[in-house]
This record gives sequence, C-alpha cells and structure tokens, in this order.
Amino acid sequence: MKRLRYFIQRTILNMIQSPLLSSATIGTIGVALMLLAFFTLIVLNVQNLTRQWSREIQITVYLEQVPSTAKLQQWQEQIKQHPSVEHVTYTSQAEAFELFRKRLGRNDDLLDGLLPEILPASFELVLTPESRSELGAEKLVQELKKNAAFSGFRYGQDWLKRYDAFIFLLKLTGVLAGGFLIFATLFIISNTIKLTIYARRDELEIMTLIGATPMFIKIPFLAEGALQGIIGALLALGGCHALYYFFLKRGLSALLTTTAAGNITFLPFSIQASVILLGFVLGICGSALPLRKFVRV
Amino acid sequence: MSMIQMCRIAKIYANGVPALYDIDLQIPAGEFAYITGSSGAGKSTLLRLLYCADRPTRGQILMGKRNITRLSARKIAFLRRQIGFVFQDFKLLQNRTVIENVALPLQVQGVSIKETRARAFELLRYVGLEYKVQRKPLELSGGEQQRVAIARAMIVRPKLLLADEPTGNLDYNLAQEIMEMFSAINKMGTTVLVATHDTEIMRLLPRRTIALENGHIISDTRPETDTDQLQETA
Repeated sequence: MKRLRYFIQRTILNMIQSPLLSSATIGTIGVALMLLAFFTLIVLNVQNLTRQWSREIQITVYLEQVPSTAKLQQWQEQIKQHPSVEHVTYTSQAEAFELFRKRLGRNDDLLDGLLPEILPASFELVLTPESRSELGAEKLVQELKKNAAFSGFRYGQDWLKRYDAFIFLLKLTGVLAGGFLIFATLFIISNTIKLTIYARRDELEIMTLIGATPMFIKIPFLAEGALQGIIGALLALGGCHALYYFFLKRGLSALLTTTAAGNITFLPFSIQASVILLGFVLGICGSALPLRKFVRV
Repeated sequence: MSMIQMCRIAKIYANGVPALYDIDLQIPAGEFAYITGSSGAGKSTLLRLLYCADRPTRGQILMGKRNITRLSARKIAFLRRQIGFVFQDFKLLQNRTVIENVALPLQVQGVSIKETRARAFELLRYVGLEYKVQRKPLELSGGEQQRVAIARAMIVRPKLLLADEPTGNLDYNLAQEIMEMFSAINKMGTTVLVATHDTEIMRLLPRRTIALENGHIISDTRPETDTDQLQETA
C-alpha cells in the first residue's frame, strides 16, 4: 500500500516537476493520435456513404408474360431463397404504368390512350451487401437466365464498373494511408518518449546507485507513460471532435447542402475506446523500450 | 574483520582496454583509506567494481562474508542500500528539493514518510543545511551540494562509504570541510574509501594510501601515526 502510494505520488510529481517534457510528450501523442483518429473518422464515413450508394445496386428482371398468381409466388419465393438476394418486390404492369406516369410529371398526357400492357411486369431485386458488385450482379443474372420466362435484365453495368473501381481505390488508399499513418504515429510517439527518458537518464542512474531495484525505478516511468498516453488520447479525441464538428458537420453541410452531409457521424464508442487504449499501450511500450536500455544496475 | 577483500582482480573492458591487473587488497572494517593515482590509473574502476557497476573480468570480491562478484540486478540493488556514495559531480536530482534528495534512499527502501523526513532533517542539520531544506540543488554552492550528497549517503547508516574525487569540484577550504566530515563519519564506525588524486587532501588528513598506476597497485602505505585531527596547512 505504501509502495502504491509512492508510485502514484511519484508519477504525478514527475509530471509536475518536468512540465515541459510532459507537455511535449502529451502534445505529440495528442497530435499523432488525432491525425489517426480523424483519418479513421473519414474512412468510416466514406464507408457509410458507399454503403448507402450500394443500396442503389438493383437488378430489374422483366417478365415475358404475366404469369399466374401461383407461378408468380413460386418465382418470387425462388428468387428470395437465393443467397445474393436481400429483398425482392414484384411490379405489375399496372404499377409500372402508374410509376411511369408519375415520372413523366406534367407530360403524363403522353400516355393518354395507351394501355398498361405496353409495359412489362418485373421483379426488383435488392442484393445483399456482399453481392453488391459487378461480379455479384452478373453471377445472379446468369442464374436467373435459366428461367426462360425472364426476358430481360437491367442492372446498370457501366455504373457498377465505376462503383467497383471507386471502392477498390478507396480501400487501397485506406490501407496505404492508414498503414503509413499508424507507422508514423508509432515512430513519432516512441521517439518522443525515448527523448524524454533520455533527458532524465541522470535520475535513472542516481536511482540505481542508491539501491532502487529495476522495477522500482521503472514503475513510475511506465505509469507516467501510460498516463501521458491516456491524456494524449483524450486530447486527440477532443481535437478530432472539434474538427468533426466545425469542419465536417458544419462546414461541409453548409457547402454541400445535401443529405449525405447530414449522415456524417462521429467515431463510434468502440473506436473511441480503442484510441484511448492505443494511447495507453503506446505510452507504456514507448517508455518500456528506452527504460530497458537506460536502467542498467 | 575485513570489510573488503579483493583477490587477483582484473578488469579488461569490452574494447580490450585493460583497467586493473592482479589487484589483491584487504580493507578492514572501520578503516579510512585513499585510492590514489593519476587519471586513468584505475581508481574509479576499482570503486565501480565495489558497487557492482562493473563486473571483474577475473578474480573475486568479498564484502564482509559475501561474494559480490556475480550478483543479480536485484541483489546488487540491495547491496547498494548498505553503501553510501559521494561523487565529484554530486549526482543530485535537480528537480527535487534538498530534503527530497536526502530522503531518496530511504524512500527506495520503503521507510515511512515520517521517519524518512525526520532522519533527513537530522542529517541536514548535521551537515549544516537545515535552513535550506526546500531549496533545489542548483540554488546551492558546490560545497553545499556536496554536503547534501554526504547527507544522502549517510541516511542509510552505511557500513561503507565510497567517494570518487569528492573534492574535485571544490576549492581548498570547502575540500577541507568535506574531509572533516568524512573523518567524523569514519569515527562513527563507517569504512571510508576515497578515490582521489589530490595530494593536498591526503596531506591534510593522512591515512592509509593505496596508489595505483596503469591498473597495478604500486604502493600501499600507512602514515606513521594516524590522527583524527586535520594537519596544519603549510
């Protein structure tokens, strides 16, 4: 208990007695983690946005002739059973005609005198998230072509090609930039902590001379590293939230005035907790490595 | 009874530089001795072997009845709790107050705060710094800093006091003051080993003198009469 009190007291006093070194470490951890957190925030929101776009990926299956109700239900059930299909709806000729009329708006008089039978009945297929790609859509269409009653298919092939290329580019950028950012963060934080410990190597030497065991010397430094890591991570989240609020939420909303800007969300709780955990781990590991070198009895 | 026994000690550094050769030395408990010699003679290396900062390449060192040649890091830490250290550069923590510096060895040993502060204050009074307990080392003169270092060394009531060029940074009067303190500490029963090349100091307080040259003991002499009084200056 006495030791625990000493370690807590020492950790806090060390930070108070070396304010410049402590603020430099906390500041570096804060800025490095803020960049990482903000990057994660952007990646997550772009992922959200693309997930919304991907809902637009639908396959329309046109029917040669209007089937009987029993047949219709059978086909609908068969399509629904397919693992790539999330949802299927049937659009009758009358519904298609009515939809078309609505789309024409003020020009709907063009349809006067025409019968709903001019338009084919169809199934509208919404794909599962995993199948929302050109390949997924083509695979499903090949399966559906086995039914001769399905006369035509439309799924925006050109749009899908561009969507696939965009998603690939996004993932590649995410992995490359994220990997580089994580590496840079680790490098900057570990070197800053190493420098702060190097600046206090005299203290470490004196402690060993007066008979402190290696663990007794290391514990306050490790605790200090962990505390600085946590404080840095909290500052990073605060800074990231400020960037999110002023730059993304307010700035982008005013600029875009689209519903997409309204859907921008902050980091979920699990990611926020991960940032704090990362700060904690980086603080401890960043301190442990140079301590191994400098605390030599 | 011997406080220190060194038997055929040799120390050759990793780069092949030899520092000590065939050192056979016996320091009885309660003795005051000088280790002397020019720079590079091996004085500091000999002290470093005694507080286990280095390991001898060959030979054995006994401290009391204990062989300290190959101790684990933890055992070295416990051994150092029985040794007081005084260095030329004082080795004080600049960001802590005088009393915090003196109290440090007892804090490390887990002694209660109340007892630690009482003993630190008592020792600071002994070295005449009771009015500067809340000062930082850099606010003190060189002599005062060395007195803080002595108080820190004494707080553990050490069996052995090792001093490496303790007067190297001090003028003659301050050096005399520090040597008087060492003499008084020795009279309390602590074995004192001072590494120095300052002949003035040795003339001031004549004691057993072990002279080193190129890592060898070239002489081991005792004054004809030991005296507790410092000699008159010329």
